[in-house]
Formats: sequence, C-alpha cells, structure tokens
Amino acid sequence: MLDQLIYLFRRVFRNIRQSPVLCSAAVGTVAVALTILAFFSLIVINIQSLAAHWSEEIQIVAYLEREPSPARLKQWRDGIEAMPEVAAVRYVNQQEALRRFKSRLGSDSDLLEGFGAEILPASLEISLREQYRNRESAETVVGRLRQNPELAEFNYGQDWLERFEAFLELLRFGAVVLGFFLLFAALFIVANTIKLTLYARRDELEIMALVGATPWFIKVPFLLEGALQGALGAFLALGGSLALFQFFLRQGLVALLSVTGGDQIVFLDWQQQLLLIGTGILLGLVGSVLSLRKFVRI
Amino acid sequence: MIHLYNVCKNYQKDAASALHNLNFKIAKGDFVYITGPSGAGKSTLLKLLYCAEKPSRGQILVNGKNITRMGSSHIPQLRRHTGIVFQDFKLLDNRTLFENVAFPLEVQGKKRFEISNKVYQALKHVGLHGKLQKYPLQLSGGEQQRVAIARALVVDPLILLADEPTGNLDLEVTLEIIELFKKANARGTTVLLATHDQEMIRRFPRRVIALENGQLVNDSAP
Ligand SMILES: Nc1ncnc2c1ncn2[C@@H]1O[C@H](COP(=O)(O)OP(=O)(O)OP(=O)(O)O)[C@@H](O)[C@H]1O
Ligand SMILES: [Mg+2]
Repeated sequence: MLDQLIYLFRRVFRNIRQSPVLCSAAVGTVAVALTILAFFSLIVINIQSLAAHWSEEIQIVAYLEREPSPARLKQWRDGIEAMPEVAAVRYVNQQEALRRFKSRLGSDSDLLEGFGAEILPASLEISLREQYRNRESAETVVGRLRQNPELAEFNYGQDWLERFEAFLELLRFGAVVLGFFLLFAALFIVANTIKLTLYARRDELEIMALVGATPWFIKVPFLLEGALQGALGAFLALGGSLALFQFFLRQGLVALLSVTGGDQIVFLDWQQQLLLIGTGILLGLVGSVLSLRKFVRI
Repeated sequence: MIHLYNVCKNYQKDAASALHNLNFKIAKGDFVYITGPSGAGKSTLLKLLYCAEKPSRGQILVNGKNITRMGSSHIPQLRRHTGIVFQDFKLLDNRTLFENVAFPLEVQGKKRFEISNKVYQALKHVGLHGKLQKYPLQLSGGEQQRVAIARALVVDPLILLADEPTGNLDLEVTLEIIELFKKANARGTTVLLATHDQEMIRRFPRRVIALENGQLVNDSAP
C-alpha cells in the first residue's frame, strides 16, 4: 500500500519534471483566473457586509412637538414597547439632541454658540426587532404612531438603502456571470494543457496499456497531477489576491465606501479560502478527466 | 492455447475484409510463423490476439477464454500473460533499460525487490545485464530489440506475439533474436512470429500459417 503510494507519487513527479513548461502554464492559468475571481468576490463581499451593517441600523425616529411630562412619556413608551415589532425605545431630550449635534460638528461646533437646546426637537428612537428591520414593518409601526398627534414627524426612510441593495444585487449577478465565464475559460485552457502533456507522453500511455495496465492505473497520476496543479494555482491566487488586497483593494474600498479605518474591510474568511482552493483542485481534476477521456482508451 | 473459429475482420463497413473466415488451432508450447505479403493481415491477426482490435465475426479462444465475449475490463488481465514485440521496439527513450524492462512489473504492482530480481534475470537472458543504466538510444537496433524482448518475457508470458521483430535488423542480428525466441519457447511460452523473411523460416523451420488477402492459404508444419 505504502509502496504503491510512493510509486504513484514518483510517477506524478516524473511527469511534472518532464514537462515543466506545460505544467506551469496550467498552474498559471488557474492562478490568474482564481485571482480575478477572488478580487471581485472581495469587492462584493465587503460591499455586502457593509450594507448588511447599515440595514441593521434601520430605526424609526419620532420627533416630538415638545418635551412631554415624565408620566406621559412613560405611557407612550409602554405603549410603543408593547408592539411586537419593537425591540427598544430610547428617549432623546433636547439637551442630548444638542450635545449630539455638537459632537457631530466637531471643530465646527462653535457655530452653535449662543443657541439654546430649544432649537432641536426631542425624539423617540425606536429600534426594531431583527426580523422586522425592513420598510414595511417600519411603515406599520409608523402608521400606528401617527394616531398620536403629539408625534410630529417621522424619519425611517432609508430609501437609498433599498436602492443600494438593488444595485448590490446587480453587482452580485455580474460577479457570478463573470466567475462562470472565468472558470470555463480556465477549465478549457487547463484541459488543453493537460491534453498536450498527454500527447507528449502518448508512447508511454500506449505501452502501459499494452503491458496490461488498467485504465485507472494509467489515469490516476494524471488526475493527481491535475489536482496538484489546481491546488498550487489556487494557493498562488490566494497569495496574489492577498497582496492585491493589502496594497490596493483595501484603500480603494475604504475610499469608495467612506468607512473610517480599514478594519471593516475584510479579506476572505477561512471557509472562503478553502472554497477557493477546492475550486482550484476541482478545476484541475475536471480538466484532466476531460482530456483523459480522449486519450486513454483500451 | 489459441483457437480461431470463422474469424473475420473488416476495418470499415464495406471495405475488403482484412481477415476472412480464419480457422485454426495453436497448441500450448507451439512455435508458429505467420507469413504473407504486405497487407495480408498478419498484424491484424496479432492485434485481435492482444485485443487491440475486435473481430467483426467469429470467436477467438485464448487459454480457454473466449476473448471476443470478454468485457473490456478483462483486457489488462489478458495482456499481463501476453508478451508483445514490435518491429519498432516501442521502448521509452527517456528511461533506462532497467526502467523499461521493469515497466510491465510496475504496472502489475509487483514488489520492489522482486522487480529488480526479475529485471536483472530478463536482461541477463538477452545478454544486456551489463547495461542496466544505459538509455535505449545509446544502443544498436539489435540491442534495442533484445531489450524489448526482455520486457516481453519478464512477466513469464503464456504467449509471445512478435510482429516483424527483425524487420529492421540485418541477418546476423536476426539470428541472435530468433535464438531468444527459441529459448523462450523451450521454456514453455507459445510463440507467434509474424514475418515475411523466408530466409529465417528456411533456417529455423517451424509450423507456418500463410495468409494472403486475409485468407489462410497454407498451414504446414515441417
Ligand atoms: N487501422 C486500420 N484501418 C483500416 N484499415 C486497416 C487498418 N489496419 C490495417 N488495415 C488494412 O487491413 C489490411 C491488412 O493489414 P495488416 O496491417 O494486417 O497487414 P500486414 O500483413 O501486417 O502487412 P505488412 O506486412 O505490410 O505489415 C490492409 O489492407 C490494411 O490496409
Ligand atoms: Mg504488419
């Protein structure tokens, strides 16, 4: 068993040693295709996770005509918190609204010099339970709240977020189409390179069959070689896309999505990295299966 | 050992048949020449025997097995008991003599020490055990054919098929090669040798199966 395994690997490495150029061509093709794929996946993944983060922040803000008495406030709160969609209610009085506004202005906060707290309305910030964080639920809640005439104005729109998600859907679709196209192109090239290596070794294949090798015995080293090339290409792609990410993509995405700092921009997690390597291996395997079908006949 | 019943072979549907209604028996341990002019069907007959081609009609029994009814998964097993030698040697030029002769044993998954032993013995039989690490292209044509014969015999085949093994070689070397086939035959291997070299048949008379246009025209033993 061990003997046969050693023999198998000796055959694989002999093959690779005999046609290093073709072998690197196959590895290179897989590497390039998967790098491009990983690059676009990173863009989509990051925009998507950011969008998910934003939609978590969906909440309803109800602005009040005037600050209510504590008793009334408690009555309202209890009423709102009893709604099934509502997770929490937070009261922001005029003082706090002004303080927040100031801190948001930062160094420009002296613009507010001389204004009192009365310029900003008090508000109720109503956050929704996770499964209700969408436009319809927000509208239902707001519909009920409108019955209270003292709640003057509501802000829950996030219209742009929905448009953004439609755009994201398009982006995802584009990435999938591009991915399929790339994988097919890579498969085609890999299958043909392997076909060339088989052609270069057709004598050996013929003699093997003549001295009684089973089809599997003939094929397995080539399948293994294909898988190895695919795996190697995938590792190179992983390295390549990590380099692209570190030196280029991270800053690009930070600028594009105007997030602060690069921490929210992530590289592929380990499952996605495994998936990439698996895709490479599959690419090499299928490539060899396709070309072997034409070459090994007994 | 080999038994043909009404064997026909047409490569294309309506082309003239390469073999036509062949019937003969070859006993175990026989030495048989297959002769005939070019295009007579000698190579085709051998190809049927190692299952590179299937007969269009008729049955072939080899060692009691009907190889025309046998599934293709059994072909490797048949070939492991069949040594094959070609006019153009079919050696692997990027492997040493040792590796070339070891090839059929590796394919059969034999153990390492068993392989080295048998390969050495087989190369010794053909007188090339001093050149284990040489490559085929460093040898003369006759030596290359001896390597090919060693490769065919290293598995102790029941049957040895040779398709014009001396076609490229001069008389002196031909005689050496024939000597090797006779030695193998003496050890019990059934030998089928396709040739149109009448000189060879005259010097080593054996049973002759003569083909012409795919038909058996003469089957005579000395
Ligand atoms: N692969 C093939 N496809 C079609 N026809 C073939 C094929 N191989 C052989 N033939 C035909 O079958 C006939 C017999 O050929 P075969 O090779 O058996 O002759 P041969 O006796 O070996 O001749 P030679 O002495 O020249 O080697 C010939 O007419 C040849 O044209
Ligand atoms: Mg011939």
